[in-house]
Amino acid sequence: MQLGRQVLDQQLVDRNDVNMGKVDGLVLELREGGPPRVAAILTGGHLLARRLHPRLETWAKRLMQSWGPDQVEPLRIPWEKVKKIGVDVKVDVAAADGMPWEHWVRDHILCHIPGA
Amino acid sequence: MMGTARELRVEELLGRIVRTAAGRPVGRIEDITAEPEGEDYVVREVILGDVGLRARLFALAAQLPTFQSLGLGGPYRTRAIPWHWLDFSDPSKPRFVQPGEKP
Amino acid sequence: MSKLLKIALGIFTSIGGFLEVGAIATTAQAGAAFGFSLIWAVVLGTICVIFLVEMSGRLAAVSHHTIKDALRERFGPRIYMVTLVSDVLINFLVLAAEIGGMSLALQLVTGISFRWWAIPTGFLTWLLLWKGSFGLIENGVSLLGMVAIAFVVAAWKLDPPLPEVLAGVIPRLPPHQPVHYWFTAVSILGAAISPYLFYFYSAGAIEDHWDEDHIGVNKAVATVGMTFGGVLATAVLVVAALVLHPRGIEPQRYEQIALLLAEPLGRAGFYLFAGTLLVSCLGAALELGLATAYCFANGLGWNWGENVRPRDAARFTLSYTVMIALASILMVAGIDPLQLTLFSMALTSLTLPIVTFPFLVLMNDRDYVGEYGNHWISNAAVIAISLLASVLALAAIPLQLMGG
Repeated sequence: MQLGRQVLDQQLVDRNDVNMGKVDGLVLELREGGPPRVAAILTGGHLLARRLHPRLETWAKRLMQSWGPDQVEPLRIPWEKVKKIGVDVKVDVAAADGMPWEHWVRDHILCHIPGA
Repeated sequence: MMGTARELRVEELLGRIVRTAAGRPVGRIEDITAEPEGEDYVVREVILGDVGLRARLFALAAQLPTFQSLGLGGPYRTRAIPWHWLDFSDPSKPRFVQPGEKP
Repeated sequence: MSKLLKIALGIFTSIGGFLEVGAIATTAQAGAAFGFSLIWAVVLGTICVIFLVEMSGRLAAVSHHTIKDALRERFGPRIYMVTLVSDVLINFLVLAAEIGGMSLALQLVTGISFRWWAIPTGFLTWLLLWKGSFGLIENGVSLLGMVAIAFVVAAWKLDPPLPEVLAGVIPRLPPHQPVHYWFTAVSILGAAISPYLFYFYSAGAIEDHWDEDHIGVNKAVATVGMTFGGVLATAVLVVAALVLHPRGIEPQRYEQIALLLAEPLGRAGFYLFAGTLLVSCLGAALELGLATAYCFANGLGWNWGENVRPRDAARFTLSYTVMIALASILMVAGIDPLQLTLFSMALTSLTLPIVTFPFLVLMNDRDYVGEYGNHWISNAAVIAISLLASVLALAAIPLQLMGG
């Protein structure tokens, strides 16, 4: 399995087939006397900004401190939770736990519009 | 943050240039492969491509059959290197450490 | 549902969004200034967009990814961001132009300045996206868009000289005013080859759950649908060539473009023009709003879909809401809709390679399209036409800015 091509930047989908973001980061755990194992998937937070440009990450972090949801660290999903890798990456997690921005937009902006 | 001493981040390794101890470029990290081993997925190989802008443009051109038939994109190659041939003690500077072997 | 019925429906739905303010304004300019000389630009643009639309449907059907989704996965966030910035900027300008088109249609009929209509038409666009389903928008846009057939009727009524029309299909050098000629050609190409069209189409294929069985349908829909749109655009050009060109009128305002239908069809024609403009621009505005939201959502992993309730796709909804609001404000500010239209079309041409090249790589990648990869003709045609459009735009835009 090619980690860059088949896992990184793939769509993350939760146990109810709800989109949860993209695989923004992939953590390898180094071990003594053997090759590393794939430890976790990272998504959200300022990770994307970081991958684009370090200065963008600083700016994104500052923006998120004053504005937006409280939880701004990237979500870490242990590799054991990955159920299937194909068209997308299915994880055994409830999206509600890991989409702070989505919920923030819904609860702070969209709620003001009737019919949401 | 590149991760603690016990962790590496794949997205920060991709694109880095692997050099020998003497500083000679060996290749550019294109991808990392992993295989299931018991309950885990374990890293096996690092895929290296050619270094340099020209090489990467050729790589892109090689994707298109149109350019292939025009004769472009020929010389680009990738090689798969076993993980333990590389030293990632400084993740921003991957080192090729297999002694006595030509990369 | 029988295959034939499916194809027919598909053709209907794909027509919507092709003849919109960009196509109308650019072809009207072309016909008025240069007679039949620029028909080749419409033909070239139509050929290119047929390839691109068919490709976007095929990509979705085989890989179950939309274009932006696959772009991010295959090339990483940096290249995705570059295409995103380019797309969003251009979509924004074109969306403003469409809202301007709708507002001008209402100005034509009521006499009230288009600046007053910008917010209401923007609101209508937003409301339809907020409340509507994908099927409703797909089908509604196209059925209403059929009113554009008025141009074909007008063209037929004016009895154009067939040999000269056909001669226009062959690319040729400008008979006069070379800068204006090439700028208009570039604008026509940009109007025909609009990226939002195939972003919308590929997301639509996913919303409609297409798979490999749909490849044949996809080919038929893309070809016939876009050809029909090309015929409509050519009809506008022909009418302009017969109505405006002999009088030496070069439309500076939409009121003059209204002459295109008012002349051959009388008073009814005037209202038909306003109606066509209103409906076509509404359709395009809906597609633009959605296409932009898809660009964000597909690449950033958000929950998305027109069939999904707004609260279940909050960021997706927010993106089209903000886009429409900003575009409406631009029109309230009073930017000349006609000039904005011509310019945004030319900019589209300029940035075409940014959009098409990564897309082409995807269409030749076995991991995404399996054995259904591109034929070398599609690759060659799209590369050639994108490069041509971009190079021409690179030369023509600055010259037009300096001279015009």
